[in-house]
Parts: sequence; structure tokens; C-alpha cells
Amino acid sequence: MRWQRGLWLFLVPSFGLMTLVLLWPLGYAAYLSTFDYYLGSREMHFVGLANYAELLGEARLWHSLWTTIVIALGSVAAEFALGFVLALALYRLTFSARVFMIFLFLPHIITPVVATLFLKWILTSNWGLLDATFLTFNLNPPDWLGDPIWAKICVILADAWIFTPFVMLVLYAALQTLDQAQIEAASIDGADGWRIVRHIILPSLVPVIVFTVSVRLMDVFRFFDTIYVLTGGGPGTATETITMYTYQLGFQLLQVGKASALGIITLIIVAAIIATFSRVLQRGYGRS
Amino acid sequence: MKTRRMARVRNQTLLFIGLAVFTFINLVPLIWAALTSVKNPADAFTVPPTIFFQPTFQYHREVWLDRGFVHYLINSLIVSAGTVLISVPVGSLAAYGLSRMPQRRASPILFGLFTIRMFPHMLLAIPFFVMGSFLNMIDTYPLLILALVAINQPFTIWLMYSFFLDIPRDLDEAAAIDGCNLWQTFRIVILPLARPGLTVAALFSLLLSYNEFLFALVLTGIQTKTLPVAIASFGGEDVSDWSISAAGAIGIMLPIVVIMLFVQRHLVRGLTIGAVKG
Repeated sequence: MRWQRGLWLFLVPSFGLMTLVLLWPLGYAAYLSTFDYYLGSREMHFVGLANYAELLGEARLWHSLWTTIVIALGSVAAEFALGFVLALALYRLTFSARVFMIFLFLPHIITPVVATLFLKWILTSNWGLLDATFLTFNLNPPDWLGDPIWAKICVILADAWIFTPFVMLVLYAALQTLDQAQIEAASIDGADGWRIVRHIILPSLVPVIVFTVSVRLMDVFRFFDTIYVLTGGGPGTATETITMYTYQLGFQLLQVGKASALGIITLIIVAAIIATFSRVLQRGYGRS
Repeated sequence: MKTRRMARVRNQTLLFIGLAVFTFINLVPLIWAALTSVKNPADAFTVPPTIFFQPTFQYHREVWLDRGFVHYLINSLIVSAGTVLISVPVGSLAAYGLSRMPQRRASPILFGLFTIRMFPHMLLAIPFFVMGSFLNMIDTYPLLILALVAINQPFTIWLMYSFFLDIPRDLDEAAAIDGCNLWQTFRIVILPLARPGLTVAALFSLLLSYNEFLFALVLTGIQTKTLPVAIASFGGEDVSDWSISAAGAIGIMLPIVVIMLFVQRHLVRGLTIGAVKG
């Protein structure tokens, strides 16, 4: 049809804006990554790929990558275990599910910085609610945010507190689309609840689960607010993810060139995740 | 038959109690902050923690009036309103265009948008800051608004796309036969029908820009600091400021709870497409 030709014009403002504000800065970051450049200094030295070489030879980068992976796997596992149980419980509940949904959803929808502060006031040593409770019973609590291992666990739990509601909601929505007749038939045939979950419900949720896992994995490479507020990457570099390290490089050490190089490396990793899951993602996003 | 019904009632009751207990424990951090915000200093730091006490709203008043949070709230409102007013119209145009294209053309573009949504924001924050410094635009509203509009585009387009798809194409064709050009079709026929979608997109964009932290942290200064940046720099270490920080945090949260009640029905659609977290 002829009149559809002009449709392209409708895309111009939005894509023009994205080119200007997303793609151009992206190109500029790639350009900066080839310079030895400190923010505020007048001199820029072209160094080619030296920033990349330096980063890849650095223990701190690999450490931050490892931390990112640990936090990603820990929190995604926790979110799915808990999110699935909650979704199933809400699905089975024949009344008031909607009210629960609102309350369960609160941690996800409030400002991440605020949500993290709420958790921090629980975890802070001595005066936090957790320590105050421990001390009431004369128990000696660990230093939640000051111990490298506990700090990692706290970051994972914080991420889980904020993102479990999201996973719960997606799984709950998927459960609503299940074939009721099949479940009823199975239960008439004498299958108990667990077998129905194991053999009917879980298999039909696999596409949604894979889709959500891959989205959450990519999210972890953007995960910043919570770590910044809760631990600042500490103690030492115990909770320093690759994003946090980029922030330190760029905005604390002001090594803009090197930070840009690290940003580009992150982009490559995320692109690799997208490429790996692209089939699933393309099918998954069509569903919503 | 009767025992089966009783078993059902029992199961439902157990399920309800289990969920109620979990929900309560899950919200303890929030409840604790709310209690802290209305506690007098004498009640705030005691072992064991106090649960019953005489509440005071002194800190809520102090944080907004004496500690400048009103100013940060105004900044947050300017930035959020600016973002919504640009992002939703621009995104709706693109979404309409895409929804009326053949699927095989729209699909790769939509997937491209999904990929853009997955960009690590830190990678953009660095060049934004450097370019903003060159242009002398750090600590101005337009810079932050522009950044938020851009990262918000994929989500807005996606959401509006799903609403436009629900409007039958027959209407477009009827309008074309009646002599409307593309713009008139969009403006007069389709857009009014998509009004619920526009509301949802506006509310989600509002949430996203109100909650956003990284770009606000990097691109704002004393003049344009938004609420999340203010509370993050405020609410940390000094234990004596806890009550005030808690009051600030609770205050920041309240408008979101109100918005949440409005978008509740659309949560699934909004979140499975985009995610409120930026």
C-alpha cells in the first residue's frame, strides 16, 4: 500500500534522538578508550589499545569480573527459587492474591537507593536492627558489611530483595496462561501436587524462565545503585563488580580513557550474552 | 466430598498464613525505617530495640524544610516531568510507525531496541560526563533530561507498540479512505484510542526518572541534585542523622506507593516489557 511509505517519518524523532544521545556518546567512549586521558587535564595521549592491554593484565579486573559472576549467579538463583515458590503460592490462593501482590511488590518499585538504605539500616553494625537483636540475646553478630564474605552475601540478598518480586510477577503471569484442563486431568488421575509441579508446570515455564534469567544476567552488568549505597564496593574490593570498578576508574581516579576501555569491555561481554541467548530472547520478547 | 472441601479450606488457610508471615518479614526493613523516622533519639538507639514509643514528626518536618529536601523534590519533579513530556510523545510516534509496518520489518528494529535497553549505563555515563563538561552543561536540567529520555526510549516504544497493536488496522484503512493522511490518521483516529496506553507509559516513565540514580549522580550538582542522589549522600554513616535520613527515605517512597496503586493492573505488561529499574 502506498500510504504506508511515510511511516518511516514517525521513527525519525525517536531514532534521531537515540543516535544523538546514545550512539554518538558510545562512539565517543570508544574513541576515548584509545587515549591516556585524565579528566580535567589538558593533555590527551593517543595510546592505541594500551588501555585494554593494561586492563586485561590486571588482577583487579579479573577479580571484579569474578565478583560480578558470583553475585549474578547467587542472586539469580535466590530470586528464582523464592520467586517461583511465591508465584505458585499466589497462583494457588483463591482469594486476596491481588492484595499480597501489592505488598510483595513494594521492594521492587520503590527507589533502589531508598530500598538499599532500608536494608543498610538493618545491617549496620551495632545500631542496625539485626545487630541490636543479636546483642539483646547476648550473641556476638558477625560484621555483616565489614567481612568480605558476609558483605558479598549481603549484596546478593539485597539484590534478591529488590528483584524477587519482578521474577515472581513474570512467573505468576506465565502461570495464568497454563492449560487448566491438563492440570485437572492429572490431578484426577491421582498425581499429587509435587508431581504436577515437576512434570506439568515447570516444563511449560522453561521458555519464560530462560528469558528472564538472561535478562537478569545482563541486568547484573548494570547493577550499581545497591552496591554503591550498601558497601561502596568494599570492604577493600570484596564487592567490587565490573560496573563499580568502572565507576571508581572514571569518577574517583578520573582515568577516563581507561574507564572507557573497561566500559567497552563490559559492552562486549553483554553483547556476548545477548548473542548466546538471542534465539530465546527473540522468541521471548515476541511473547510479551 | 465433605472431607475434600475441608482439606481445601485448610490448605487455603495455611497458604494465606504462610504468605502473610512471609510478606510481613519481607517488609521489616521498610517498617523499621518508618518506625525510626518517628522515634525520638531516646528511643532510637536502645538494646533491645523499642517497638512502642511516643511518635514524633519532628524529623519529617526537619528533613523537608531545614535540610533542603523540598528543593531536591522540585528538582526531581522538573526532571521527571521533562522526561515524561518528551519521552512519551516521541516514543509513541515511533511505536505507531512500527506497529503499522509489516512484521518482518518491525521485528529486527524492535529487537535492536531491546539490545539498546541492555546497554551497560556506566559505559554511557563516562562520555556523557566528558561531553557535558565540554558543553558546560553539567548541573543543568536539560542534560539529565536528555539522558533519561534516551535510555527511556526503548521501553516507551515497546510499551506503546503493544498498545497500538491492539488497535485494529481496519481503523487506519477506513480513515485513509475517508481522506486522512498518515498524520491525521494517527492524531485524530488512533491516538485517542491509545489514551490508556499513554497514561501507563507516562506513569512508568515517571517512575523510571524519579528512581534513576547513576546519571543523576554523575550529571547533577548542587543546583539540580535529585532526591535519590540527595538521600544517598545523606543517609549513610552518621548514626545521629538516622532519624532524619529515615524520614527522608520514607517521604521519597510515599509518592511511588500512590503511583503503584494506579499502575497496579498494568504491572505485568509494563514490567515484562521493560522493567521499572533503569
